[in-house]
Amino acid sequence: MDTITLAGPLEAKLRAVRGAGFTQIMLNATDIVGHPDGEEAAVAAVRASGLRVTGFQVLRDFEGLSGRLHAYKVDIAKAMLEMCAALGSRVLLACSSTSAHATGETGALRKDLEKLSLLAVPLGIKVAYEALSWGRHVNEFPQAWEIVQDADRANLGLALDSYHIFATRTDLAPLQDVDPRKVFLVQLSDFMWQEVRSPEERIDTARHSRVFPGEGVHSEQVAGLVRSLDEMGYRGDYSFEVFNDDYRQLPLPVVAKRARRSVKWVTDQVSRRSLPPRRRPT
Amino acid sequence: MTVHERNPEPSNPLGIDGIEFIEYATSQPQAFGALLQKMGFAAVARHRSREVVLYRQGAMNLIVNAHGTGDSAPPRAPAVAAVALRVRDAGLAFQHSLDLGAWEMPTRASAMELHIPGIHGVGDSLVYFVDRYRDFSIYDVDFVYQENASRKPPPVAGLHWFGVVQAILPERTPDWLDFYQTLFGFSVLPRGQYFGVLPKGTLLESPCHKFYLQLIEPPPGAEEVHWEEGLVRVGLGAPDIPKAVAALKERGIVFVDHGAVQPSDKGALTQVYLEGLTFELVVSHLKS
Repeated sequence: MDTITLAGPLEAKLRAVRGAGFTQIMLNATDIVGHPDGEEAAVAAVRASGLRVTGFQVLRDFEGLSGRLHAYKVDIAKAMLEMCAALGSRVLLACSSTSAHATGETGALRKDLEKLSLLAVPLGIKVAYEALSWGRHVNEFPQAWEIVQDADRANLGLALDSYHIFATRTDLAPLQDVDPRKVFLVQLSDFMWQEVRSPEERIDTARHSRVFPGEGVHSEQVAGLVRSLDEMGYRGDYSFEVFNDDYRQLPLPVVAKRARRSVKWVTDQVSRRSLPPRRRPT
Repeated sequence: MTVHERNPEPSNPLGIDGIEFIEYATSQPQAFGALLQKMGFAAVARHRSREVVLYRQGAMNLIVNAHGTGDSAPPRAPAVAAVALRVRDAGLAFQHSLDLGAWEMPTRASAMELHIPGIHGVGDSLVYFVDRYRDFSIYDVDFVYQENASRKPPPVAGLHWFGVVQAILPERTPDWLDFYQTLFGFSVLPRGQYFGVLPKGTLLESPCHKFYLQLIEPPPGAEEVHWEEGLVRVGLGAPDIPKAVAALKERGIVFVDHGAVQPSDKGALTQVYLEGLTFELVVSHLKS
């Protein structure tokens, strides 16, 4: 599960997630810095929870800037990396830039992501680069994959988010070209309407109206994505990236139970395909 | 006339030209100093204001820092805290590294002290850049030389820096290769090309061909062993290992004399000193 789905203090989120039987959690920087007893207390709570940290989010608008803006973003990235390391998270999620000040020149984007990856090496962190569906220049995963490939850094890989893939109606076929070992994180969610046409609509839906896999109207596509990932050999982590205003005003165990139900739905989708057809006894 | 075929050299973006010094941190400077003397080093100078001593042997400068850095006290067992690289231009090397994604180390120089730029390396260690090593010595600024002591003690059996051994976490070799190749232009030696008696991990050669770096992941089956990333040991090169072992034994150094690491023509490993310190000898083609 992802803390952004749940309301309330960090400790309550950790309890609810653990209580629903999850063993991992995806953390958001606001969980840490917003803790009333400070960052160290938040880190201690996470470590005491026994949950493995799937990843830490989110570094925004990092690549493609220059001059002072770039220097500023490097400072932000360093602070995020330090928090990520303190939490014992091995993955930092970095979303493609939405900044109007960012260049779209792929050489410059690659260079900045190489720099971010190098900053992450001494801390033992992998950078998962995600194409945000409203990203200014990079908004579909094949573009992100091309940059990741060009950079060719061991600790730079992809984050795939089903919402962004469906929002831009990105063809899944290029997934076959992606090295499964270079997918560092997969985030799953769905939503309740067929299309999100404008970038504004995508942002609004993404931030307020996502639902768990199995609850939305793109169930077939979610199942298809998970099956494709499974077939290509992806064995990494999945997290539910579900921003939903309704879930943030429900009791935490209720939401965690829905997440648990979604896990079953997802695993059913995969096992239905990968299990050999059962033979009738003769 | 002979035509020399010149193969293209791997690039050396920083103009690296060997190791200027290796710094150890420890809260037991006297005990460590006594051990260093057995290893052939001699104390030649003291820092003007800190509990820091410069030891030397042949071309090797070794700094023992008992002062600690920032808020942290030095560790009890002597640990490799920094490697200072000789470079063409320290300021440029520093800036170039930051541009590529290195972490700047906090400055430690006080008024009237020489500022040596540096970046964070593995674990708590630092990498310094030094460009004044030909006509001017960095030690002349901050150190006071010992009276009645040679400033250039000769090496025992031709000992010289050979390399540094770095422990890394499982599956982290590719990450650290990126780090050393991108920042400094190190190149990976082919698998199977090893020196010494501990042939494992991945061996990197400096772009100046003057020293090596060995990256070691925990061995299989070592899940229960506490393994942290850091610089764990230096390797000292010698042209003739049996001769160097004999000379150091004579001075009171004890070598591991059983199993795979017992002294051979290839190398030798000292016993563990001061609760966690070893030196490795490696047969070396490098110059002392």
